[in-house]
Amino acid sequence: MIRLARLVPVFLFIVAACGGPPPSSSQGPAATAASKVGGTVTFPAITDPDTLDLHKTSNPVSSTIFGFIYEPLVDQDLSNNYIGRLAESWTVSPDNKIITFKLRKGVRFTDGSAFNAEAAKFTFERLQKVGAKSPIFPTFSNVIKMEAPDELTFTMTLKDPYAPIFHDLATSYAGILSPSAVKAANDDIGRTAIGTGSYKLKEWQTGQQIVLERNAEYAWPLAFFANRGAPYIEQIRYRVIPEPNSQLAALEAGEIDSLGLPAKDLPKYQNDPRFKIYDSLTFGLTYLGFDAKRKPFDDPKLRHALAQAVNKQEIVDVVFEGKLARAACCPIAESIQGYDPKLKEFELKFDTAKAKTELDAIGYKAGASGLRTAPDGSAFKPVLYTSNSDTHGKIATLLQAQLKAVGVDLQVKQLEPGALLAATPKAEHDLYLNGYSWNEPDMFSLFLSCDRIASSNRVLYCNPELEKLIVAGRTTLDQAKRMQIYFDAQKLTLQEAPWQPLYMPIGKTAVSVKIQDLKQSASGGVFWHDAWVKK
Amino acid sequence: MWRYALRRLVLAVPVLLGVSTGVFLMAALVPGDPATVLAGDTASVAQIERIRQDLGLDQPLPIQYARFMERLILHGSLGESTRTHREVLVEIMDRMPYTLELAIGAVILSTLVGVASGVVAAIYRGRRWDYGITGVAAFALAIPSFLIAILMILLFSLQLRWLPVTGAGTWQHLVLPTVALALHSAAVKARITRSSMLEVLGHDYLRTARAKGLRERVVVIRHALKNALIPITTLIGLQFGSLLGGAFIIENIFGWPGIGRLATQAVFNRDFPIVQGTVLVGAVIYFSANLVVDLLYAWLDPRIRYS
Repeated sequence: MIRLARLVPVFLFIVAACGGPPPSSSQGPAATAASKVGGTVTFPAITDPDTLDLHKTSNPVSSTIFGFIYEPLVDQDLSNNYIGRLAESWTVSPDNKIITFKLRKGVRFTDGSAFNAEAAKFTFERLQKVGAKSPIFPTFSNVIKMEAPDELTFTMTLKDPYAPIFHDLATSYAGILSPSAVKAANDDIGRTAIGTGSYKLKEWQTGQQIVLERNAEYAWPLAFFANRGAPYIEQIRYRVIPEPNSQLAALEAGEIDSLGLPAKDLPKYQNDPRFKIYDSLTFGLTYLGFDAKRKPFDDPKLRHALAQAVNKQEIVDVVFEGKLARAACCPIAESIQGYDPKLKEFELKFDTAKAKTELDAIGYKAGASGLRTAPDGSAFKPVLYTSNSDTHGKIATLLQAQLKAVGVDLQVKQLEPGALLAATPKAEHDLYLNGYSWNEPDMFSLFLSCDRIASSNRVLYCNPELEKLIVAGRTTLDQAKRMQIYFDAQKLTLQEAPWQPLYMPIGKTAVSVKIQDLKQSASGGVFWHDAWVKK
Repeated sequence: MWRYALRRLVLAVPVLLGVSTGVFLMAALVPGDPATVLAGDTASVAQIERIRQDLGLDQPLPIQYARFMERLILHGSLGESTRTHREVLVEIMDRMPYTLELAIGAVILSTLVGVASGVVAAIYRGRRWDYGITGVAAFALAIPSFLIAILMILLFSLQLRWLPVTGAGTWQHLVLPTVALALHSAAVKARITRSSMLEVLGHDYLRTARAKGLRERVVVIRHALKNALIPITTLIGLQFGSLLGGAFIIENIFGWPGIGRLATQAVFNRDFPIVQGTVLVGAVIYFSANLVVDLLYAWLDPRIRYS
C-alpha cells in the first residue's frame, strides 16, 4: 500500500472523528459544556486534498477531511462491530441480497436541507456514475437496485450476497451528499463540501490550509459520546507541510498540535511535558511477497525456504527501534477482524538452518563463495522491488543481509511509488516489499485473488483453492462461518508463502496537552467529539 | 527596439511549442501510469481502465498529442488536472502569485546584497573587506540552499522564535524562504560584480573622471557601476529561471504554496497536465525575463543597437 501505508498511522489517529469510546469522567469539575466551546486544533497534512468530492478520490488526506464533514450510513464501534450512523438500524433479507436501512430522523445537511432516503439513493447512484476513482466503486458494481420507498427507508439490492459491504459503507468515502448542494454546484463539489458531519468547510487556501468550522447545529452524535451536541472545538485546521522535518519543526514551534512521530524522535517527545503520546495500530501490515507467477518463485518450496531466512524481529528492532512496529505472524493483521493467534502455529518462523536445508533440497546449492546458484547452474540473484521510502530502503538492506546468510544474493531496486505501481503488474520483480491497509478480512480479494493479478495483487499469486475461500468469505454473512473461512485462507497462504508477513506498524502520535478529553479506541483510533481545548 | 522585441516574441512561439512537445513526450516516457496512480493500489483492472478512458489515455500517443496541441492552440487551454479536476491554468494562477512573490523578493534581495558586496569588495581589493566578502560568498556558494533553510529554521524559528516555520500570507512568512533562496544567487552576483568592477575600475575614463575632480562615490556609482552592471543584468535574467527552479526545494521545506510545490506533487501523482502547464509557464517566465534583460542592455549601454 504505497501511499496509504506511509500515512495510515497518522490518519487512523485523526480520522476517527465521530466514532468513539464510552465517555470518561476526566472532564474536570469546573469545565462546563459552554466553557469548553472554542479553540483551534491544527494538524499537518503532507499535501492538499486533491478534491473534496468524495466520489472522485482515493486520497488519504481527502478521506481524513471527509471524516469530519460527511457521515456514512454505517460506522464501527470500539470492537470493530458495525453500528448505525445516519442509519438507525438495518435488516438483511434471508437470501442476503436486500439490505433495508431505517434512517435517522431530524438530521440536516449544513446547507439546511434534510437528510432522507432520497439523499442516500442520490449519493450512491452518483457514485456508480462518476466514482471510478473511489476505493468503494467496485462494491457498488454489485448493487443492482436502490430504492427510497419512504422518507426514512432506503433499500439496496445486491446482485450477489456481499459480506464486506458494511465495511465499505462505513468508510468515509461512503458519506452522504446533499442532493440540493450538488445540484446548486452543478455537480462540481470538489471545493464545496456539504455534509451532515460535525464540521463544515470554512476555507480552503490552496497549498496552505483547510479550515473546518464547528457545525453548531449538529445534534446527532453517536450514542457513546458524553457530548450530546455539537463538538466543542471551534476550528479544525489542516496546514499543508510537505516536509517531515518541517512538520517536526512546526510541532516544536507550536504551529501544529499533533504529529505522528518517527522512531528517532520518539524518545525526545516521550518525556516532553508539552505533549502526550498516543499509540495507534494500523489496519494492515507490511509483507515480503514473491512473484508467484514467474519462475523461479512459482515454486512454493523456494518461497517457503526463503521465507524462513527472514528475521522479522530484527527488522522491528533495527528499523523501528522495537517501538513503532510489531512482528506479524499472519496475513490478517492483529487489528483486523479475522486475526486468530492460533495461526501462529503455521507461521514460517525465522530458521536459517531450515532455510539452508530446504534450499539445498530443491537444488539451490552454495558455491565456493557461499552464494547459491539455481538448479540449472545459473546465477541466482533475485531482484526485490520496493518503494523509495527510507523505511523500505532500510528493510531491504536488512533483507539483503539476512538472505546473504543463507547464500542468496538479493538485488534491490527502489522505485518512486508511481513507477512501482506500474512495474509490479508487469511482473518485472522477483520479490516485492510493501504493505496493505484495509480494515476487512476480505483484503484477500484485493491482494491475493486471481482477478486482481493485473492490478492490486502485486505478487501475481493465483490459487484456485484460495480463490474458493475468497469467494466464500465474501458471500458468507454468518460471522462464525466467515471467520473460519478466513482462518483457512490464512493457513493456506502461510503454507504456500506467496507472502511472508513482516510487521504491523504502530503509530506514535504526539498531541499537545492543551487538548483535553481526547479518547482512544482499543486499536488506537482517536475521537474528537468530546475533546476541547484548554484556554 | 520595439521591432526587435516583436521579433523575439514571434520567435518565442516555436520555442514554446517545442517545449510543449518535449514535455508531452517526456510525460509519455516516464515510468508509471497516471490511471494506476489515481486509482490507488486497491483498484481493480476495470477501475483503472475506466479512469484511463476518462483521461483519454487509452488512445494512441499521436492522438493524445494531437488533442493536447488542439486544446493548447485553438482553445488556449492546458487541460484539466487529473487529480483535482480543475483547469490547469486555474491551479497555476492560484500558486503563481506566491512563487513570483518569492522569486522577485529573492531577485531584489540577492541583487541588492550581491551588487553592494561586490562593489565594496572591488573597491577594497586585497583588504579585509574584500577577503571577508569573498569568503562569505564562497561559503554561501558551497552550502546547499536546503541546508541554509534548515539552519535558519533552527535559529530563527525554534531558537529565537522570531519567525514562523511554515506557511504564507504575512511578511514574516516571506523572510526565511526569500533569504534561503537569495543567498546562493547573492554570492554569485557578488563575485561577478567584484570582477566586473575591477575590470572597469582600471579603465582610462575613470582616471579622467577622477582627474576632473568628481567625488569617488560618483565615480564608482555613476561611471564604474553602470558599466559593470551589464554582466550582472544578464545574470539576473538567467538566475530568475534558476530561482524558479530553486523554489521547488525551498517551497517544500517552508510549506510555501507556490508552483514549485505544485509541480513536485504533480510529478509524484503523474498529473501530467499540471507538469506540462508548470513547465510551459516556467518557460514563458524565463523567456520574458531574458527579453526584458536584453532590452535593458540598450539603457545601460547606449552603444548597443537592436537590429
